[in-house]
Amino acid sequence: MLPSYYEYYNPVKILSGKKALENLSSELAFFGVCRPLMVTDQGVTKAGLVKLVKKSVADSGMTIGAIFNEVPEDSSSRIVNKIAGIFRKNQCDCLIALGGGSVIDTAKGVNILVTEESDDLMAFAGAEMLTTPMKPLAVIPTTSGTGSEVTGVAVISDPDRNVKMVFTSNHLLPKIALLDPRMTLTLPPAITAATGMDALSHAVEACLSLQKNPMSDACACAAIELIRENLVEAVKEGKDPDTRLAMANAAVMAGAAFSNSMVGVVHALGHAAGAIAHIPHGVAMNIFLLLGLEYNFPKCEMDIARLLLPVAGPEIYARTPESRRARKTIAQIRGMQQSLRDLCDLPMSLQLAGVSQEQLPMIADLAINDPALIMNPREMEKKDAVKLLNQAF
Amino acid sequence: MTLFYRPVKPETKKIKRFLVRLIFVVLGRAFQSASRHDADIKAEVDSWDEGFTIIMRVHPSGPLMGLEKKNHRLVFRWGVLTQGNLEIIFRNLESAFMVLTPQMGAAQAFAERRMSVKGDLGISMSFTRALNALLAVLYPRFIVKRLLKRVPVLSRKKIYLRIWLYTLGIVTGR
Repeated sequence: MLPSYYEYYNPVKILSGKKALENLSSELAFFGVCRPLMVTDQGVTKAGLVKLVKKSVADSGMTIGAIFNEVPEDSSSRIVNKIAGIFRKNQCDCLIALGGGSVIDTAKGVNILVTEESDDLMAFAGAEMLTTPMKPLAVIPTTSGTGSEVTGVAVISDPDRNVKMVFTSNHLLPKIALLDPRMTLTLPPAITAATGMDALSHAVEACLSLQKNPMSDACACAAIELIRENLVEAVKEGKDPDTRLAMANAAVMAGAAFSNSMVGVVHALGHAAGAIAHIPHGVAMNIFLLLGLEYNFPKCEMDIARLLLPVAGPEIYARTPESRRARKTIAQIRGMQQSLRDLCDLPMSLQLAGVSQEQLPMIADLAINDPALIMNPREMEKKDAVKLLNQAF
Repeated sequence: MTLFYRPVKPETKKIKRFLVRLIFVVLGRAFQSASRHDADIKAEVDSWDEGFTIIMRVHPSGPLMGLEKKNHRLVFRWGVLTQGNLEIIFRNLESAFMVLTPQMGAAQAFAERRMSVKGDLGISMSFTRALNALLAVLYPRFIVKRLLKRVPVLSRKKIYLRIWLYTLGIVTGR
């Protein structure tokens, strides 16, 4: 059934497949820019991916204005300021983000400062604080989960107040996302599993959100199908480029889905657990996904039942009576999680992820202020959050 | 026949504009009064900085309602505030009319992008909870069911607050 009203927006050009990287310079030339600043991290550099990008722009006439390869796991406004200074000093005219969520969000932060000609990033924190079109940003993801390459959201911490600040605006959307299978071949199994569960959570929550629409549903279901067919394989056999490319596509589709439909209680709890207990986002998603589905079950049993088709495939879907499909969806996801746990010991409880019981009330306090909750089909008050966190412990 | 191509000036929906402005006054005064008496709203207001300002306005320059935290309470600022630390912006007059009349809840309006937020998203969640607490007191259960994801059971205190709001609270703001 169509919603009474919906909007869908995704202006990011996606280039996916073999030698996609080699199209980087011609794509940037389309925007009239030729001197990018590349933002990346040490892990990506050590994996030899920076070299690959440099090689891909050989003979293109494009000069890489500078390469900043020291983005930490949790980026901050100080790092963003430092990189913006380099951007200005080296007279760059666009940005390339080569990395995972932290690198991409950092590049978005740098783009805010260099576009708005400011050195106070926090002045632009929050929703719709940006009014100027940004400089072209090309994203080359090196993990398959965050989906940040197709979202207008950045999360950057404010070290002075020790809080993570959210920036949302359509102006933050990158211009180009390049999905090249070479970029994720060296990703370790545990990170492959965690980021894959992040992508799955994006897609599943997008299908339950109050903002769901036919376009976001199509992207989310396609993403779930790709994850079902490729995630466990990518963890087992990481060197297979086809599997890696499928996961990169799944992450982009899930990203496009949730940026037009929003996530919910799973992400609200995950963001808060990440901020308080510093557990990796993908691990948090793995822990909270099924609890979130159970929590929303009374409000969206039908939607969960519909997910059985992409989650389990047509044969299992057809074999399962309609009244049992929602429960079967949950069982199938649990089965996938168990396979991942067997393969790479992905934690399935907060305790195993290193969270202490004393941290739970603080996580609950933060979770109920997470903007993801507004689109969750069921209200979550603090007492509900505490109950869910205790179950997850 | 000569054709004249003249600019078309935007029309004004005078009645809807008047009604939206009127409901903003009622809502603003109800907020001011309820922030003195309702524990749930007080708890949310306590978490905001002193002097924090919130406005609800209709894009681009339609009616607006301003609220300011002063001495731990909300004060309705009529015609004084034009910008706020947090802004809830209705995309057009029809959207504002739909939400304020009240045919649609805040969550649904956000989902349909009829309303947007400018400012700190964490505080916007807190404001939404305060707004929901106020709506639950202001409207009868059959309307609240349409507006909120979870309908709260009204305590005796909240029923007294409803009576107070409809007799003196909205009129005096106390």
